Amino acid sequence: MTDATTEAAHSTGSAVAPQAEDPTAFGLLSTADHKRIGRLFIGFSLLFAVAGAVTDVLVRFDLASDSGHTVLNLETFTQVFMFTRDALVFGMLIPFFLGVAIYIVPLQVGAPNIAFARAAALSFWGWLVSFGVLVGAYIGNGGPAGGWDDGVRLHMLALAGLVISLIVGAICVAVTTLAMRAPGMYMDRTPPFAWSALVMASMLVVSLGVVLGQLVLLYIDHGYGRHFLDGNYGVWPRIDWMYRTPQLFIYVVPVLGVAAEIMLAAARRWVFEPLALYFTMGLVGLFGFGAWANFGIAGEGADVVDGLEGIVLVGLYAGALAGVGGLLALLGFTVWQSRKWPRPTTAVLAAFGAGKLIAVAALIGLIGAGVDWLNIAGRGVDGNAPLRFTTWVTGQQSLLIYGAGLLGVLAALHWWAPKIWGRRLSELVGWASFAAIGGGAFLAWLGPTLSGAFTEQPQFVYNDPQLTTVYGSLTDSSGAEGLSVVGGIGVVIVLAGVGLVVLNLLVSVGMGKGAETDADPWGGLTPEWLLDSPPALGQSDSLPQLSSGTPLLDAELNGSAAPAEREASEVPA
Amino acid sequence: MSETAVSTVEAPQPGRYTVPGPPPRPRSQLVGTGFAIAAVSMAVAGALGHYMARRHLLDDPGHDWLAGQSVPNPQLVYALITLLVSVVTAHWAHWASRRGERGHTWVGMAITLVMGFAFFNMVMYSLNRMEIELGAGEWENLAFAVTGLSLAILIVGMFYLGLMTLRSLGGSVGRDRSTPLGSAVFFWDFAVLAWAATWYVVYVVK
Repeated sequence: MTDATTEAAHSTGSAVAPQAEDPTAFGLLSTADHKRIGRLFIGFSLLFAVAGAVTDVLVRFDLASDSGHTVLNLETFTQVFMFTRDALVFGMLIPFFLGVAIYIVPLQVGAPNIAFARAAALSFWGWLVSFGVLVGAYIGNGGPAGGWDDGVRLHMLALAGLVISLIVGAICVAVTTLAMRAPGMYMDRTPPFAWSALVMASMLVVSLGVVLGQLVLLYIDHGYGRHFLDGNYGVWPRIDWMYRTPQLFIYVVPVLGVAAEIMLAAARRWVFEPLALYFTMGLVGLFGFGAWANFGIAGEGADVVDGLEGIVLVGLYAGALAGVGGLLALLGFTVWQSRKWPRPTTAVLAAFGAGKLIAVAALIGLIGAGVDWLNIAGRGVDGNAPLRFTTWVTGQQSLLIYGAGLLGVLAALHWWAPKIWGRRLSELVGWASFAAIGGGAFLAWLGPTLSGAFTEQPQFVYNDPQLTTVYGSLTDSSGAEGLSVVGGIGVVIVLAGVGLVVLNLLVSVGMGKGAETDADPWGGLTPEWLLDSPPALGQSDSLPQLSSGTPLLDAELNGSAAPAEREASEVPA
Repeated sequence: MSETAVSTVEAPQPGRYTVPGPPPRPRSQLVGTGFAIAAVSMAVAGALGHYMARRHLLDDPGHDWLAGQSVPNPQLVYALITLLVSVVTAHWAHWASRRGERGHTWVGMAITLVMGFAFFNMVMYSLNRMEIELGAGEWENLAFAVTGLSLAILIVGMFYLGLMTLRSLGGSVGRDRSTPLGSAVFFWDFAVLAWAATWYVVYVVK
């Protein structure tokens, strides 16, 4: 529904006819229904998670030799390394939670559809096409470190397409939360996940916007003389900040929302101070803004931020840690207040694990930033690499993407599968997925973290003389090979866990083996559990009467009735 | 809200409520435009930041950086003044639209768009006089990219204004129906600000 239509309907008080949805697969191409768009995002992002984990296995095992490249060669190593980051961040992490938000947030805030539904559809198709072009650029020997110049620029165009598409989707989610909430549901009563989606969307808009401006400059300079790029390798250090901490914290803010939803439902209580819930999640998003970090990596303006960079990084990690720690303490206190130990479902376990891992990642980030800032153990002086240039960063990425990110994916899928597909996923397979992803992520973190801390293995590439000055000045030290094997084994286990998740979806949902559920199989608190599982395609002409983000809890505590539906004609002008 | 709107049923029974209808708040386009402005402003900030960081690396920016280029300041200043006036006429159009005065609305938007075209005419003239050759040097590349980004934002702004003008021509005027035009004017304000920042950094400070 266009904004003009909604505005006209609003101003006249007339009902809007339900939007017809073609239920066939062909209807997916022209759909403007948030439920189908959300499902498309979720499905494809899981496929890209598999692709990213497979290529990461290649990278990790290629690093496990002291005699040069064994699995890949010099050119393909850098390209596969970069594709892995693209696939895991822009293929999986951001689009998965954006897809869940596009599906769930309108149901949670009492909106008929996502804001600018056709723009949301454009966001999905733009993302998918851009990702296809990006893969094509890599296959054609392009990408930031490729040998085909046109392919390098094609990668930049594809990356710009990905960023624009995700920004458009993020705007749709943010506007839905801000401007399409049901009357009476004020911001301090929005469900936790809707709030976390708003935080992520807002921060994506402001942080990914930066890379758009950078890509314009990089594209022009790359095509006309390369006066500051220093060759194809100059592209990556200037966009690397999107794939590392603190920026990664923005991408996992929705994981905190998922964890809060699940833990509060398990406790059957609302937090004693709702503003603290929203504030702590906002803190994590705010301190995750990492666009400025490229100056320290690319060398441009490094002398300006020298001296400041260390303390700023320490401050960012400390802020993120305060946010996550505060939120987890709040949730833990609420569970303790309920005097009930939550039933260990996959969703509960994964939510608990994901939340904890974000806190651990922030703590480790704080330690690493402190070591670099204070030059502990000679880090950053006398030619020693600061930790932020070593595989210490790969460890952080593993912790946040594989650990917190994938466990958040697992929790969200198990929790909302009844609402999204109308069936529960297998708990047995879910526990196995939880064990594999959690254990694999631990090893994937442990190996590179130890090799970064004790062998100064560069984070970027292995023994590559053609690198930019910053990375090229760092040399690999022996002893990292065995630790790379540990990390590689971890990623293999993670890959098995992701495979189990996909298998679980195929069997439980695709083949219809999962148990069918009623509207609220988990005893959820938030408004989406008032609706059928799954809600019918398209939109109706009635609005729910909501005055808080937890109508089912309100009804339970008050011993009163659940809110009734309201006709659109009764919407006040 | 009527009493029937808050009627309740006897017990919580999930699953009985249909997916809701039209949103109750009419300003989603304005909020969406605000987010778009945030994204684009960060893109401009990122580009200008990169430009300034590169310039900062040079010891003698005034000489090496510009490599003998002379900037036609009067024309670029006139162009900026034209844009600033167009902001006034755009707000005049929006003010008139909220009062339901269609004649003023359309005249205001027409003048705004004409001034936008005039601005592009002046800027293109200025850039042609400067004879910036793409690829000739670092400053040329960066100036071209940053200037092009700002001009592209202005083109999007003019397109947005034009579309919303067509909507007002179709009858979308009045206090409750001027939000789309107001959103376009909001974006135009930002586009002009983005150009002003670009002009100051690239052509005044250089």
